[in-house]
Amino acid sequence: MSRPLVLAVPAKGRLQENTEAFFARSGLNLIKPRGARDYRGAITGLDGVEVAYLSASEITSQLAAGAVHLGVTGEDLVREMIPDADSKVVLIEGLGFGFATVVVAVPQAWIDVRTMADVDDVGTAFRHTHGRKMRVATKYINLTREFFSAGGIVDYRLVESTGATEGAPAAGTAELIVDITTTGATLAANGLKIVEDGIILRSQANLVAARTANWDDSERETARVILDRVAAQQRARAFREVRARFAACDAKLVESVKAKFAVQTPFGGPTSSGMLTLHCPPDKVYALTSFLRENGAEAVAVADLDYVFSRDNPLYAKLAAAL
Amino acid sequence: MTSTVTTPAKGPDTRAAALIASYERAGYARVAPAILQPAEPFLDLSGEDIRKRMYLTTAPGGGEFCLRPDLTIPVSRDYLASAVAGKPVGYCYLGPVFRHRVDQPSEFLQAGIESFGRSDKAAADAEMLALGLEATAHYGLSRPDIQIGDVALFSALIAGLDLPAAWKRRLIKDFNRKANLAQDLDRLVLGGSTSRPEYQGVLAALSNSDPKGAHALVTDLLSIAGINAVGGRSVAEIAERFLEQSALGASAKLPRDVRALIERFLAIAGDPDEAAADLRALAGEGNMTQALAPAIDLFETRAGFLAARGIDVKRVRFSTAFGRGFDYYTGFVFELTDPKRTGDPLVAGGRYDGLFTRLGSAEPIAAVGFAVWIERLSVYGGAA
Repeated sequence: MSRPLVLAVPAKGRLQENTEAFFARSGLNLIKPRGARDYRGAITGLDGVEVAYLSASEITSQLAAGAVHLGVTGEDLVREMIPDADSKVVLIEGLGFGFATVVVAVPQAWIDVRTMADVDDVGTAFRHTHGRKMRVATKYINLTREFFSAGGIVDYRLVESTGATEGAPAAGTAELIVDITTTGATLAANGLKIVEDGIILRSQANLVAARTANWDDSERETARVILDRVAAQQRARAFREVRARFAACDAKLVESVKAKFAVQTPFGGPTSSGMLTLHCPPDKVYALTSFLRENGAEAVAVADLDYVFSRDNPLYAKLAAAL
Repeated sequence: MTSTVTTPAKGPDTRAAALIASYERAGYARVAPAILQPAEPFLDLSGEDIRKRMYLTTAPGGGEFCLRPDLTIPVSRDYLASAVAGKPVGYCYLGPVFRHRVDQPSEFLQAGIESFGRSDKAAADAEMLALGLEATAHYGLSRPDIQIGDVALFSALIAGLDLPAAWKRRLIKDFNRKANLAQDLDRLVLGGSTSRPEYQGVLAALSNSDPKGAHALVTDLLSIAGINAVGGRSVAEIAERFLEQSALGASAKLPRDVRALIERFLAIAGDPDEAAADLRALAGEGNMTQALAPAIDLFETRAGFLAARGIDVKRVRFSTAFGRGFDYYTGFVFELTDPKRTGDPLVAGGRYDGLFTRLGSAEPIAAVGFAVWIERLSVYGGAA
């Protein structure tokens, strides 16, 4: 038997739940055959896969080292932990959960600070006034350094913070912070505000592939199957199926519907009996149904899709191109 | 990290040893500072950017240490801690430094000289360049390109301009940063940033007519909001800069002739004699003779000492803009490069009179020196 493809997924909390739900929607049920406390698992009905339950930061370093093939981790960790990340890993697809924005935040009392140019100037003035550099508390040492460097900011020191970073200014251990936020509520509760152009990275959980893992034919084939299912599910979630039948439907109408509502025609134009199947983005569905009825459709049926498999496999193509 | 740690290809470099021996004969005591250094001074002086190139380690007690990424700071620290601190002393060194580099060994040899505490600055500057030229000649490159600059000239120019303090701070910083200067000059002409609050006009008017009152008002407002010192900045500090920014935003228009003066200044280049004449002409036209005279005098005296040391000043390329990007330096800066090769300097140095106060000295101590990139020189055949 050949070696299995290793899929690393988060071992606890919301990230684990979301990841399992995500794969389950793709028909890939992650199971732990030897009980819930086990850190090794499998996928029901798919041989050749070993599921490794790890912490998000461990997943990231294992991906960088090529010790696992695929993994689920945040882009923030990928960018922070892996030097020259794009040469080591491929971000195959954002998974729609684990959203977090890495931002520069300063005390609300700093009414003179709105932009990074202000932060820059305050840093210089701070050094002259206090004889030391202003301190930036963060766990994102590398992201912060790159962002500040790109903005030409030099008068600052990094203070590594592994938890409760937003409390650092009030505690007097730093002047400002770089941290993740989702709603900004925690920052506001700690008397901090986000610098206008201080958005370093908008991150979410990603399905990530390791370029340097061992990719033999069997591992590639297993990855292709997984990614095919993920792609089918992702595509299904991006659309609703809209079906209608009406005599007046012709190629010209289909073209205008495509242009107006960003729909796809997975099965081509109308059939001889006037049946038309469209895949429409959810937010445009109602407008589309109105339009179809105005143009003579008697009834329009809308349904959720479970999977849309197509001949091409864009996610696997992305992986294959990188290997 | 994927970088491999490789030892230098060659063993002890006998030519480098001979170079150091000649520096010792010239009166520079050889020193060998510790390889393992506290990381703090390097991060503080060179900025966080150097962190990614440093080999850092944490002591069990929590202190951060590094393999020395250069020798200037270790030599300076040892001197400051010694009994001769503040007195005129010259040191030379030869030893490994450690920096993470792509596709090159992370450990490599540097030689150099540091001259501390000399009050005859122009002569000391010229001596450094002469000793640097000995290094390239020692390796067989007798006529390297000589590029020099003088950071003090730009500082004197800005200090002499009638500009708000915030803009002076900004221009000096941008000069040290190689970028943004042109952009800032644009902004000075165009006026302040557009994203300022609606009330800034009121504040600007207030701070212009009654600076003390405006300051008290903003300080009071912050106090009413229950804000004390937050994040290390005092309420007074915040209020002050807030008003300064308001005033800037409302009225920051750099007269075109001042901008033209800065641009003309930064375009001055050539051999030192030509440049000095251009600088004097510019100072006269810009009504800045007084502001620039001491810096130009020093510049000319130094050029005289260079000639006295047998350096053909016609070969020396001076530029007012050279020296940008090193906020370390406070005056003379120089680089020696191979005219037949592009890129990295073989010898580089300058004056950094501000270093010792930043290292904790109560009094400023004059300092000038240079580093020799042994591995870059070792490709040359030998003494000419």
